[in-house]
Amino acid sequence: MQFTVTDQGDGIAVVHIMGRLNMVTAPRLREVVAASVAAGQNRVAVDLSDVDFIDSSGLGALIGGLKVTRQAGGDLRIAAPNEQVRLVLQLTNMERVLTAYPAASSAFHG
Amino acid sequence: MVSVSAHTLTLVSPPDDVDTVHALLETVWADAAHVSPRDRFSFETALIELASNVLCHGNTGSGVTCALRLEVSAVSIDARLSDTGGTVVELLAASADPASDGAVDSREMPDALSESGRGIALIQALVDELEYTRDGDVNRWHIVRTLRS
Repeated sequence: MQFTVTDQGDGIAVVHIMGRLNMVTAPRLREVVAASVAAGQNRVAVDLSDVDFIDSSGLGALIGGLKVTRQAGGDLRIAAPNEQVRLVLQLTNMERVLTAYPAASSAFHG
Repeated sequence: MVSVSAHTLTLVSPPDDVDTVHALLETVWADAAHVSPRDRFSFETALIELASNVLCHGNTGSGVTCALRLEVSAVSIDARLSDTGGTVVELLAASADPASDGAVDSREMPDALSESGRGIALIQALVDELEYTRDGDVNRWHIVRTLRS
């Protein structure tokens, strides 16, 4: 599991995650989003294009990040989920809360 | 003709975690060409949810030991997991499940902005059978997914 954070300017951070987002790695996502918000980037785009698996712990970390960003006046958006991630979002009725954008780089533009 | 293949794993947590289960499933899928990608990731999600709940929330302080047995046949994938963790009532309470009454057959999703409590409901949505029994000091879980394609 690897996290890469890119400052896109305009208060936007892109968090790229590689690997599985599960009970082992979810706490790290919470830390990364909290650090971005603390650094003034309260609009966070989570790039899921290289996430091959998510469970409810990972989903909980995304929802936690959504709340932290919104409390700071921003938002958290997800991008490029694979079929397994989309299935988990669908079965947990989270598709409307965590809308998937085609690409993280454009999640807050256009 | 697809024959039944069986795989077993003993998990001792700590230090084992769900990545140990993912590693086992990689070897299972390598031997199961007839199982579609959707059936694979659906079952994998259910089993990882179950293992996460047991390893994380079932640990009442002295660690958890789990025995996992997986069977893949021409028509289904079947997992039996037994563990030495707390009872299912303790487990559901620890996982902040919205209705911690010990019943595992009718879980509902929590509020949209809840950060936990989806595990058992998600398992139910992904498998055709989910059974739980408490046998002395051991929890016994059984999940079955019928292959769709």
